[in-house]
Amino acid sequence: MRYNPAATLLLLVASLSHAQDSAPSERELMQQLVLQVSALQEKVAALESQQRANAPSNANATSPSISTPTPLAADNNSQPPSLIQELHELRGIQWEGFGEVDYKVLNQRAPELGSYGFVPGSAGNFYTGDFDLLLTARINDKANVLSEIAIGEGDAQSYTIDLERVLFNYDYNDHLRMSFGRYQTGIGYYNTAYHASSWFQTTADRPLIMEFAAEGGVLPTQAVGLSFTGSIPSGRLGMNYIAEYGSSDTMRPNLDNAIVTDENNGNHINVGLFMRPESVPGLQVGGSIYHDQISDFARGPSVRLGQMIVNGHVVYIRHGIEFLSEGFLIRHAYEHSSIVYNTPAFYGQISKQFHRIRPFFRYQYINADMGGLLDDVDLRYGPSLGVRYDFNNSIAFKTQFDHTVRKGQPDLNGLHMQLVFKF
Amino acid sequence: MRAELTVIRVAVRVAVWVAVFVASLADLSSAVAQTGAAAVEDEVAVVVNNKNPVSNLTTLELRQLFAGQKRSWMGGRPVVLFVRAPGAHERVVLLKLLDMSESDYKRYWTVQVFRGEAMAEPVALFSNGMQKEALTTFPGAIALVNYQDVKPGMKILKVDGHLPGEAAYPLN
Repeated sequence: MRYNPAATLLLLVASLSHAQDSAPSERELMQQLVLQVSALQEKVAALESQQRANAPSNANATSPSISTPTPLAADNNSQPPSLIQELHELRGIQWEGFGEVDYKVLNQRAPELGSYGFVPGSAGNFYTGDFDLLLTARINDKANVLSEIAIGEGDAQSYTIDLERVLFNYDYNDHLRMSFGRYQTGIGYYNTAYHASSWFQTTADRPLIMEFAAEGGVLPTQAVGLSFTGSIPSGRLGMNYIAEYGSSDTMRPNLDNAIVTDENNGNHINVGLFMRPESVPGLQVGGSIYHDQISDFARGPSVRLGQMIVNGHVVYIRHGIEFLSEGFLIRHAYEHSSIVYNTPAFYGQISKQFHRIRPFFRYQYINADMGGLLDDVDLRYGPSLGVRYDFNNSIAFKTQFDHTVRKGQPDLNGLHMQLVFKF
Repeated sequence: MRAELTVIRVAVRVAVWVAVFVASLADLSSAVAQTGAAAVEDEVAVVVNNKNPVSNLTTLELRQLFAGQKRSWMGGRPVVLFVRAPGAHERVVLLKLLDMSESDYKRYWTVQVFRGEAMAEPVALFSNGMQKEALTTFPGAIALVNYQDVKPGMKILKVDGHLPGEAAYPLN
């Protein structure tokens, strides 16, 4: 084809002029349409509000017995309820469920710490762990109720219902949030971050030191009383506090036999501080000090000792990285005596999300003095290694290998597989 | 004659090049203008109830509000969060503000509720009309609305001292 510059120039000029003509008209048309749509939306909104304003009077005229729900906002008590106010998220009871199915194999035929439905005499067992129901309900703008009901598996597939948490919460402001009821003590990070649900945990089980007292754990993980939390004005440091006062009465089964120790804990006080600095999003650094008095019935009916638990933690969770590190010192000092037992413990856990797969590694250590209340725990340490696979936002599967070195006993190896789900 | 033809051809070619160059410049300037316009259209305003005395928020405060970490306004009035449902431009800006994916966002709020740090995931609304209704109904309400969809009755807050349309405005 022969190239004709003049024709090309004409075409170019024509197309340019066409483009210049058409572009503004399309924009104008779009603007006009947007304006028309906006005007229509405003008209519809005005009509809807008129309709709503008329509706209650009509309804009352035909059926006087129908009462109008009280609006949530104090400033709008005279206004009729709107669609937004009636949203279930704002008025109803919210609930969520969490479940798990586990299979655990140990290289010994005896149950161990946190072994739940483990049947003595066999090496491997299926069990259902805790079936958790979380219920929350708003009472008004500042008050709400939270309850967590766990149905746990006991011996011979018997099930028990445990009210893990029931809290009446009142938020006065960001600096003072109050809770009354049964809570999980704010000793460190893990207990209040993951509570009783395996779904939230990366690993298949809790770290040894954070195991629930009812499962042989050494910390008073639950209590009934008052809890206060809030932020401390500290600029970019992001300081927060927690203060608790309550009764953390616990009975814990010993690890090496069926004896149950009633610690008969008195009222406790727990105070903690933690910061979430703005400069490092995802980082939390903090600590807490817990104190109460417990009994040692093995030494006498009235032998009491002071229990102090000091915690320090560093946590970083961001961009798929999860790093948890907590250290503890449990100090038991007998009254009217110089006897003191110290139990240091720590765990460190790191994991990284790769799409749906999250491999993790955990190392834990606990060293209880012989002769003390926790001498069934003695010295234990070792790694755990595993993978969590999230099928979607509601279902995940975990596989975990544990190796625990125990003083005076053979090393314990375990394989733990767990299917967790929420609904 | 041949020389004249050559000169004419060269002149025509130069004219074509000039025309193409001018057209390119016109396209470029038009594209720049459209980009600028699109940037303003893409911006999302932070809107609250008209009675809310707050007029400015920092990006950090905004992040804390929409992450449920800051739960009351100065004076103690509870914050009521309203967000747009997935698929809306405001939702994309929200996730960018929180540095989360949709999946992270869902998981984050499940965890917050379970920890007792939130009553429920913020209410997700399907239209800006509903957002406007929410803002007028709840004195402590806050929402993100496309700047071009801001309606009378919505109070626009400055973010880091800037309003939508200003060069340093962070939400787009």
